[in-house]
This record gives sequence, C-alpha cells and structure tokens, in this order.
Amino acid sequence: MKLPLRLFALLTAGALAIAATSHAGKGRDAWVMNFDLDWSVAGGLPEKAMLISLQGLTNRTAPRLYIVHPPDFQWEITEPLYDFYQRKHHVDFTPIASADEALSLFKQYTKGYVVWDKTVGPTLNVAFTIAGLQDAVVVSEELISLVEQHGLKRIDDLRGRYTGMSDAEIYQDAYDRYWDQCIREAVLLQGGHRGRSMQPAIADWGIQRKMFFHDLSANPKHPAELALTKRIYEQMEPGSTIFGWHPYGKDTEEQATTLLSSYGFKMEGLHNLPNLSFNSQFTFTEGFKFTNNHTVEPDETLQAEEKIYISFVQSDSIGIGVWTKPGRGKLPFGWQVTMNWSKFSPAALEYFHESATPNDYFIGGLSGPGYMYPNHIPAERFPLLMSEAKEMMALLDERVMEIMDNSAADGNVGNTDLTKETVDRYYENFPDVIGFINGYGPARTRDLRDTRPMISYDYYIDPKRPREAVTDDLNELITLNAKRPYFLLVHVRESNDVNSLVEVTKNLNGPVEIVQVDKFLKLAASNKTYTTRYQDPDEPKHFEGY
Amino acid sequence: MMLWSTAAASANPEIVGRWQLVTERSSALDGWQDMRLVIALEDTQVEIAHEMRWRSTRYRATNTVDTAKPTASDSFFRIEQRHMAVYPAKGGVSHTTAEWIDAHRTLRTETHTPVEVSQGNVNMRITSEYRIGEGGDTLTLIELHSSRPRPLVYFFRKIEEEDSE
Repeated sequence: MKLPLRLFALLTAGALAIAATSHAGKGRDAWVMNFDLDWSVAGGLPEKAMLISLQGLTNRTAPRLYIVHPPDFQWEITEPLYDFYQRKHHVDFTPIASADEALSLFKQYTKGYVVWDKTVGPTLNVAFTIAGLQDAVVVSEELISLVEQHGLKRIDDLRGRYTGMSDAEIYQDAYDRYWDQCIREAVLLQGGHRGRSMQPAIADWGIQRKMFFHDLSANPKHPAELALTKRIYEQMEPGSTIFGWHPYGKDTEEQATTLLSSYGFKMEGLHNLPNLSFNSQFTFTEGFKFTNNHTVEPDETLQAEEKIYISFVQSDSIGIGVWTKPGRGKLPFGWQVTMNWSKFSPAALEYFHESATPNDYFIGGLSGPGYMYPNHIPAERFPLLMSEAKEMMALLDERVMEIMDNSAADGNVGNTDLTKETVDRYYENFPDVIGFINGYGPARTRDLRDTRPMISYDYYIDPKRPREAVTDDLNELITLNAKRPYFLLVHVRESNDVNSLVEVTKNLNGPVEIVQVDKFLKLAASNKTYTTRYQDPDEPKHFEGY
Repeated sequence: MMLWSTAAASANPEIVGRWQLVTERSSALDGWQDMRLVIALEDTQVEIAHEMRWRSTRYRATNTVDTAKPTASDSFFRIEQRHMAVYPAKGGVSHTTAEWIDAHRTLRTETHTPVEVSQGNVNMRITSEYRIGEGGDTLTLIELHSSRPRPLVYFFRKIEEEDSE
C-alpha cells in the first residue's frame, strides 16, 4: 500500500509545482481574508500573527491565501490588487471568515505551533524564525486551545525562556540556535512598530523563505545589538536583501540603511508590507510589456526657454502613497518604483502600469536595485549592484534614476548630498539614462555631464505644511533663483493631496511650466543655470557613520 | 558718549527673558517643531538666542545685534524653512543694523545675509520687528524676506525660569 501512496504524493507534489510556475494567464483558486486595523498586542495582533505565519506556510508551494487590509492601512493597494488578481489572473477567491476556518483549511501545511511570549516582544520574531524552519504557526497563550483543537502539536514554547533578557541576549540565543538553518541571501528585519502594537505583515514572506527574523538595533548606543547585526551581515551573500524595516525608537532609518549599505546590501521595506508570499508567485500577464509614459525620446534635444520649470516626484514606494487618492493625473507626476517588485510583486507593478494616467511617469530607484545609501556602498560592489538596477530599469522601461542618501541627514532635513566619488560612479555605471535626481528632503548635489544632468530636490512638500506656506516657499525659491531658466524639482511626500497641489501651482509667480521629470532633465541639460556641487566634507552630518 | 548713552537707555528691558513660541498662533515652522528665544541685553547689544527643536535634535544659535552700530557675523542664524534648498552661504558674512522704534516697544533689525541656492550665492534681506506686547509678557516677531511675498509671524509668550524646565 505504501508504494501507491508514495506515487500519489509525488504526482501531487509535481502537479502543485507545475501549477506554482504557471499562474500567469491561467485561472486558479485561492482564499482571501480581511484584516482590520487592530494590531495591538492586547487586541488583534496575536490572531493576525498566527494567520500571517499560516499564510507563509500555506503559500510555500502555491499562492493560496491573500489578505486584504483596510484602505487606511499604510499599504493601500491590497484591495486594488485583489481585484486585479481576479480580473487579470483569473484567480477565484473564496473568502475565509475566521481564524478557525483558516486553520481547518490550511493546517495541512503546518507541523505544529510555537508559542511566543506577549510580555517579551522579541519572542514574536524568534517564533517567526522557528515557524519558517519547523513549519509552525505562531500563537500566543490564548490561541493554544484553538490550534490544539485542530490537532496541532506544540513544537516550541518561548514563554519564560527569555524573561529578563535584553534584546541582544535574546537574539544571540536565537542566532546560536537557528542561524545555521536560515537562508543567507536575506534576513527579515521585523522592526517598525514596537511595544504595545506591532505590524509584522511581511512575516509571511520571511517564513515562506526561512529567513532569520530580528529587530536588532543599528544604533551605536546599542553596541551588543550592533555587533550581532554586523556578525549576521558578514555571513550573508553579496547583494543580499534586508526585508522589513528598522525598529522604531531603537535606531533610525538612517542608521539601519547606512549599515546595510556598507555591506552592499539592499533594503526592501516595510515591516508591514503584506502578501509577498502570495504576490511573488505571479508573473506579468501573458503578452504584457511594461511601457512608460515618456514625454521625450532618449536622444531628443530640447532647448529650455526663459521659464521656471517645475517637476513633481513622489518616492516612498508607490504602494503607500498618493496613487489611490483623488487627483492623480491632474499634474505630471514622477513615481519612483520599487524595482525589486518585478521579482516580488510583479502583479502590483502591472496594476500600477494599468492604472497610470498619461500624466504618470515611472522612474527607477532608490539609488540602485533596492533602497541603499550610495555614499556607503563599497566601491567594488557598486558595478554589480547597478548592473542589477539597470536590468530592472530596462524591464520597466525607466530612463531616470532617483538617488537618495540620508546617511548624514536628520530625518528629511540636513545633509543629503552625494560625494563626488559617488556621483562619478553613477555617471560611469548608467550611460543610458536621461539623467539622475537626488534627495529626499532638499539637497544640493548637481552636475551635468554630456547630456545627463543630476538635479537635486529644491523643495520637499511636507503634507502638514499649510498650502499657503507651500506656495510662499515655492515663490521664494523662484525669486531667489532669479536666472532663467530655473529648474525647480519638488519632492512630494506620499500623503500629500494632489488636488491641493493643483491649487498651489495656480498661485506661483512668473512664467511657470510644470513638466514631466524626463522632459525636465532634458531641458536642464540644455542650459546649465545651476551650479555643479557635491557633498562638502565641512558640512555637518547628523550621523557620522560607523 | 551721549549717543551711546541714549542708545543704551532706549533699550527696553521687557524684551529680556525666555520666550516660548505659540505654534497655533504663528506661521508654521518648517523642518523645526519648536522654538524658544532667549533674549539678553548688554548695553546697546541685544543677544537673541534661538533654541530650536526637531524631533530629538536640539540646536542653539545666537545672533547679537547692536543698536549703536552695524554688526557683522559669519554665523548668522536664520529661522530657516528647512525643506527649501536655501542654505547659509559658506564663508558668507551677514550684516545687521538694529534700532528701537515705536516708543521703544519694538526692536527692528535689518539683515543682509548671503544664502546658497541652486544657482549660486545670492543675498536675502530680512527685516524683523520684535514687538513687545502690552504688559510685557508677549512678543511678536514679524519677519519679512526680500524674497518672500508674505511676512512670517511668530508669536511668543514669556516663560519663567521654572516653566522652561
């Protein structure tokens, strides 16, 4: 009897494998759950953590379980993408109403459960690591009875194991126990919200792929945590990806990204990016080719007039921004695309492409094949990383590279400039771009080599800034930069309202023309009224580095 | 000597003290979240210290003006709108004149300060009036830039030493 059963198992596994590689263009069944916004440890987090861990295991061999988040969730695209999967990939979703129902359906993909200690926050990350390695769902104490009703057995119990220990001690123990079993090309920096609320929506991805989970600090004030992070990084593959986000309140985005950049790694955020275990198993639909709304040809020559040219760009990863808010399309807008989504979420990129208006233009970034601070990328790693970036830009029909290095900045103010060496490397490695833009807050790195300008943001629109003040700021820039043409590049923070920007532009003084960023760069190449400038070593740095 | 005595005598001691910005009555700060002024008098000199806060960053910078003569400074502090690419020009020297006006209720300063923008270094003229409110417990700073269409207005309340902790 055993042989036929074994044969059946092999055939089934083979069928699943075939199905897993051919979702694009063929219909399939899947299931969907709806989450609310309660991520509090005392409230909704434990059940969500369990379901997310279940999702990672369930989706190991096929995209089975998808989660839709409310429109107010930081990632606004889960519902539009859900519609897209139905419409373009012919996925037939069956809703799941409860955790109990989800366990009934998907416990077959688990081997048991691991208990995390709600009184010791890092144990959730340790539990996630165990979940990926030992096919366990992650539960808190009050969910034990539920999973046991479904026949799941306890694999591990972290309650009491780490009581009274520091984060460094907890993760050192986890490292000693589990690191050797984890993959080496990615880790899950499951940071972000900490304490009474956590949002580990990306954990399914790390579990699916057997990543090591942690929220170690990159802050030099936490030397033990920093040392362990470095030890982990030193053992990772070249060009590795750090998924997730830095832990709020322990270190800063600047510190975490500076550190990983110094190893030539890429950051792919955020900690709450959902459904990668599902999204990563779809390709572009058959026959789809990513085309951009170019407003100029690559070899076209333009001549700037005596005007003020303004161009708006939004970065912050397209899925958490203004894309789904009213008003998009009324102004030319450049959108920085998370290029790595061509690997992890191609359907999302196809959705953005499909829903783009003629005024939407996609640009590459940030800084390379993932979010990195280029002033800190080791010189010998730069060419290979940028080769990867160029491949993705070609796939996504992008001709502008956006660069950001906040290693010396203080949030979105301060020193965001590139060294001359960094600028040299970009020019050397991107011969075919129309140009480069730089910054997040305002910056003052500028150059023009052959026909490729590098222009930094002259203005960053804080969404909380009153629109009259934004108008006055822009008019002041126009007055101070009196030579014509003036090239005013504006960074739009993701929560800005496009409709309010339309009103702002109506109250700007002088011969203003709002252009798409590709045309902006072509015009900037024609008449260099801006200075050439790089990061000045004398300028203060908020964080001096490691 | 007579002129110096007159200038010193016209200084209004009510301006001395710690002044806390009232954000809801003021022009929006940009790239800063809070501001205090600490003002001291010494003869004809008025020291205006700015205590700024941005997230966990604390920054303090002092401008000293003189109602008896123009002053020059290579470290003039401008209350910047920090999301604009307008920076103090490296090596730049700012020149300030100051006087008491309006029956000594207002300190008026005018500063010509070089700033760096994307097109190079340019001059910005900043005319400021520090108006002491009736009773001496409020201060209104009206700041007009030569480059800005509308003045910035910052409203402060005087705080006692114990309130400032």
